[in-house]
Amino acid sequence: MKTSVIRRGILVAIMFASAFPGCGPKAQSFPRRIEVTAKRFEFAPAEITLKKGQPVVLELRSTDAAHGLRFRELNLNVKVTAGGKTEVQFTPDKVGDFVGHCSVFCGSGHGTMALTLHVVD
Amino acid sequence: MRYLLPLATAIVSLGMAGCKADPPGSLETRTMTFAKHRVFIRDKNQANPLPSNASTWADGKEAFSHYCAACHGLDGQNTGVPFADHISPPIPLLTSKDVQSYSDGQLKWILDNGISPSGMPGSKGILSDDELWSIIVYLRHLPPAGSQGTPEMYNR
Repeated sequence: MKTSVIRRGILVAIMFASAFPGCGPKAQSFPRRIEVTAKRFEFAPAEITLKKGQPVVLELRSTDAAHGLRFRELNLNVKVTAGGKTEVQFTPDKVGDFVGHCSVFCGSGHGTMALTLHVVD
Repeated sequence: MRYLLPLATAIVSLGMAGCKADPPGSLETRTMTFAKHRVFIRDKNQANPLPSNASTWADGKEAFSHYCAACHGLDGQNTGVPFADHISPPIPLLTSKDVQSYSDGQLKWILDNGISPSGMPGSKGILSDDELWSIIVYLRHLPPAGSQGTPEMYNR
């Protein structure tokens, strides 16, 4: 008798959940994780392709001096200490090719440190 | 043959005198200023792609402090630079008419390529294009002379 009540309860709960799918737990979209290494005077990788609207966690790791990575058009600037790592989450909201540069002066080739983001639909 | 030694001595003496970092005469200054503005410095019509606002100015100030301040001071007016008057030609005040009358494009050309034989080095590759253009915004609105103190390297 007790088992029957429990079974009926479960059945009712399943039917209820089926009737209101919006109230059930949603599948979460986890951000894509990208690791970028900065060293004098390059980023690795030097090119990354992202999808517009897809959240991204960008981890910036330095293997020597302090560096930064700045995309002026995306309003994104992340800085990392010498030998350290840091991360930033963002969602690209426009399509195009965006060139980011090192934003912390790191020596004679500082101006050549660049990373290109290709944001596609 | 008997004139060879005096001639060689005279040439060497002239050469030695020519190496002295004396201030240039007014004719030399006027000639070089004309030549730089009208002939040598290019890209007169190139416009600055960055907006002239407080954010870009702050970027320019920071980039300027990393590299340019060693010779021009933090204020672009040689404050705290011990050798500014001992170079020939002397390091100009960046607020001067001579500098400010260059177009933005010409200033960018100077930052990219330098000016020979003034001692002004080119910065292409050392600073990014973005930083160089932001420096030009800073140059157009330099702070009052002395207001930024002495570059850190001369305070040690």
